[in-house]
This record gives sequence, C-alpha cells and structure tokens, in this order.
Amino acid sequence: MSNAEDHLMVADGLGVSFGSGRNRFAAVKGVSLFLGQGEAIGIVGESGSGKSTLARVLVGLQKPDTGSVTFKGRSVFDGSQPYPGDLRRQVQMVFQDPYTSLNPRLSALGTVAEAWRVHHRCSMADAREEAFRVLESMGVARHDALKKPRQLSGGQRQRVSVARSLSAEPSVLVADEPTSAIDQSAQAQLLNLFNRLLGEGLSIILISHDLAVIRYIARRTYVMREGEFVEGGETEQVFSNPRHEYTRALIASIPGRKRHGAG
Amino acid sequence: MSGAPLPVPAPALVDVSGLRIGIRQGSREPLRVVDRADFQIGRGEIVGLVGESGSGKSMVCRSLIGTLPRRGAFIMSGRIEFAGHDLASIDERAWRDIRGKKIGYITQSALAGLNPVMTIEAQLREAIDQDLSANAESSAARAKGLLDVVRIRRPEVVLRQFPHQLSGGMRQRVIIASAIAPRPQLLVADEPTTGLDVTVQAEIMKLLRTIQADMGLSILLVSHDLALIDDVCEKVVVMHAGACIETAGVEQLAKPKHPYTAALQRSRIELAAPGQELVTIVGRPPAVGSWQAGCRFADRCDMARSDCRQGDHPPLRPIGQGRSSACLHWDRLP
Repeated sequence: MSNAEDHLMVADGLGVSFGSGRNRFAAVKGVSLFLGQGEAIGIVGESGSGKSTLARVLVGLQKPDTGSVTFKGRSVFDGSQPYPGDLRRQVQMVFQDPYTSLNPRLSALGTVAEAWRVHHRCSMADAREEAFRVLESMGVARHDALKKPRQLSGGQRQRVSVARSLSAEPSVLVADEPTSAIDQSAQAQLLNLFNRLLGEGLSIILISHDLAVIRYIARRTYVMREGEFVEGGETEQVFSNPRHEYTRALIASIPGRKRHGAG
Repeated sequence: MSGAPLPVPAPALVDVSGLRIGIRQGSREPLRVVDRADFQIGRGEIVGLVGESGSGKSMVCRSLIGTLPRRGAFIMSGRIEFAGHDLASIDERAWRDIRGKKIGYITQSALAGLNPVMTIEAQLREAIDQDLSANAESSAARAKGLLDVVRIRRPEVVLRQFPHQLSGGMRQRVIIASAIAPRPQLLVADEPTTGLDVTVQAEIMKLLRTIQADMGLSILLVSHDLALIDDVCEKVVVMHAGACIETAGVEQLAKPKHPYTAALQRSRIELAAPGQELVTIVGRPPAVGSWQAGCRFADRCDMARSDCRQGDHPPLRPIGQGRSSACLHWDRLP
C-alpha cells in the first residue's frame, strides 16, 4: 500500500459510543481505513454492525469520540465545524431510502437545482439548467425531471438523490445501502452510473449488506462486525480467500451462487 | 437439487387459470392489476413467483389467502382450484376454514405478523387451535415442538418471551412456526426475508426447504430476487405488468424463453464480472391502468415486432419440456 499522504481520505482509530454509564454502547471501535482518488471501497456488515454510524462520521455528521479523519491532508474534526470551508461540499452522502430523504414537495429538478444553487451561489435559472443537465446525464429524462418523488420509481428517486449529491461536485460519495430499496434492474442502472462516475475520478465509499453489490463495485473491502473491522483487503482476496470466520459465513450466505458457481 | 426438468405432477395442489384481479374505484371501471395469471403448484413443490414491484405478485398472493377485499380488490374472472374448491368463488365463511388452516401465510414484516402483547406461547397455541385435525398431543407440547421444528434454541425460554425481545430472524421463525402449526397444505411466503440480514436470510431459506421436506407441504415463495429463487425453488413463475409471462423449472430458466426474463437474468449483479457494464431494462414497467394493447413488455423489448402490439396480452402457452412462455417470438431467443 502507498503512503498515507497520497490518500484522499484517511480514517485512523475511529471510536463512537452512545449513551452513558451502564447503557454506554460502543457503535464503532478503533476503525481505520483509507481511500484513494477515483477508488471505490466497500464496507460490508449486517444490521447493528456500526456501518451507518461510520458513514455519518466520514461525512462529518457525527463527531467521533476517538480517532481522526483526514481529508486532502487536512484534519476534518479539528475546527468548530467538521469539514472546514471549501472541504465541506467535497464529501457527499447518498442515503438508503430515497423516498424519505427527498423533499416530497419539490420536483426532481427543484431538488437538484436547489442543491446546485446553494453550492455554486448562482441564480435559480442557471441552477435549473445545470440540474437538467445533471439529471439527464443520469438517465432522468426532462419530462421525468418535473415530477415529484411520489411520481417517480424507486430507481429514479435514487438517481435523483445521487444527482443532488453530485451537484456539489464532490470528490467523495459515501453511499449508505443505496441499492437496498430498489429493484434489480434499477440496481443495475445505479451501479452502472457509479462505475461511470468512478471512471470520471470520483471516489466512492459503498456501505452495504449485499456482498454481490460490494464485490461488483469495490476494489477494496472492509468487513465490519460489532463495531470493528474484522477483515479488510483487496476485494477479490477477501472473497476468494476469506480469513475471518464471519467473512466466510457472509460469503456462504450470498444467494444464487450455488447453481451458477459465481466466484 | 434435482437436475431434470420438472413436469407438473397431476393433479396439482393449486391450479390458477385466467385469473384477473381488479380494484374497485367507485362508479368508474375497476382498475385491472392482474391480467392474467396462470400457474400451477404441485404437491410438495416449492414454486417461486418473481417480478418487479408493481407486477401484481402480492395481489396474486392475496387471492390465495382470500384477503383481496381488504385492499378493495376482487377477482374479476378466472379460477383458483385448491383441494377441490374454487377459491375464486367461495364466500368469507368458506374462507375461514381455509385461510390460516389449509393455506398458511408469511408476510414481509416479521414484526407486523405478531401480536406485541402476547407471549410467543400464547400466539403459537392460538395457531395450533386452528388445526382442524384433532390431535391428542397437548397444545403446550406442540408449541415447544414447533419451535424445535423452526430450529429455535432454548424453546422453553422463548415461549415465555414477547415479540420485541426477539431478533428479526427469530421473529420470522416464530411466524413460520405459527403458519405451519395448523399443518397447512400450502404456505404462501411473500418476500419473507426482506429487511433481514444475509446470513439470517440464508438460514430462513434453509429452514423453508427443511420444513417442506419434513411436512410435505407446498410453498409459494414470492421474491424480486432471482438469486434467492434459484437457491430454493424447483419451479419459477415470472410476472410482468400483471401477467404471468413465463413458467419453467428453475434450471431451465437459465435459458429464458421470454425477453423480460432474459433481461432480468442479464441484470443480475452476482453473475457479472466486477466493473463490467450491467445490462439494464430500458424504461419502467407500464403503470397499472395504462397498459398498452398487445404485449405489455413490447415497449421495453428489443425483439418486439408489429404483431406484439396488437390485441390482448399474449397468453402463456406451453412451449415444450413442461415450460410456458407468453412471448409470441420465444423461439427467436437462443
């Protein structure tokens, strides 16, 4: 592996606890990771493993109790606000359920244009033109862009949600279970989109319980259990030669591998 | 898993033919949501019902447990033969002897199916009392036995617990236990592992297979996940826009004979090489109420010709080897 200063993002010894006294619960325990430019990494784990808490720390929504996150060589949590100044917009999040994370009263276009206007401080008219462009590049046609979330399919909603995040022109996208609420064909569309964005130099942290999705998109994979990384490495290594018992159990649980012998 | 193509053993336990389901909308024409469903479930068979959200698969499930009226829906035409009854035409009184007794049901949400203020034992005993075949064994002993069947460890502890004290996987096991308590002939499982972790999902699927083998019942497993269906089922029914468009043995389905199934197979992530462009299905399924003439997949299909856009939706027709396709041009598929 290369030196830490070459990496876009480095997390070192992250720890997050909730509650106090006897009810204190450590959600993330001593987690370290790094992310390169244009790279996709996967964090896989089951519900309660702490992966969503970790995602919130990485985008600056949750301050860690211990450890640090460094982004482009600058410490993220040192100031009064996480991600100081211009770093703020460079790390964006895509949430699991696009329906609850989109404003029901705004059209797809309105949602993306509003984000564009905020991040680029331009007029609404210019923002709408840019929003049309971003949505179209994601396969959301002009007539669909004028629809409200409830009129869109699950897959379209998730692409609108990604478009909103991209309007900040980020360098890192943290996607927390982005495929779990959408159909198989919509999943395929979203993953094709992620692949294209990776080719354009975006870095992606993909958090999922779905190993097939992780394997398809991520170059490196970390396996998370009960707040800790139990295994991490090149994705193909992790899948073909899992060292931890828990990783082996996860891989054995992937449906559809028996008959087709994938992997 | 067996290798040979599976002809439907005669007579089938369930025979659905020409089923149309509509939703009442006041004085206007009912909205057709299923048009039309045709499939059979053999005795002891595990059949997968697969399709995108909105394809009508949950409505088909509801027609098998007689709960369509609760959603304002009704059967417009067609037959559902089950053990000598036509479920499409029986009344609510007759349903009471079938629903939950001869046909069990497992829902998506493992919490919604359980009563939060009753202990697991009380809920299981209620289910056991639905068993019409009088049994000498006490319901207390059977409650414990059922938890053994669904592989719950320390059943004597779990019996005294309430649903909120159990994990999602445990709750789904309890739901399965209460669904099989009255010894049904058919178990309808509508997306039984949605929202559960992969390892738990794998355990539940294994459990369904074990129960099927031990009790000899038939299972209809509804899922949008072809990979899951692949692991568990013997036969698959594919639905698109309210119609059954292909039925085949699960191994036969590797060579689809309907372009929609072919597209579903090609968009499977677990079968793709990392980073390789995934095939997607263009457009989205036609919305209920705005189905075009002819085949409802035609607008998304690169094989479509002019005859695909005429008349009624093409019916499912036998194409040999025990499988059927609704595609007029199925023989053009490799």
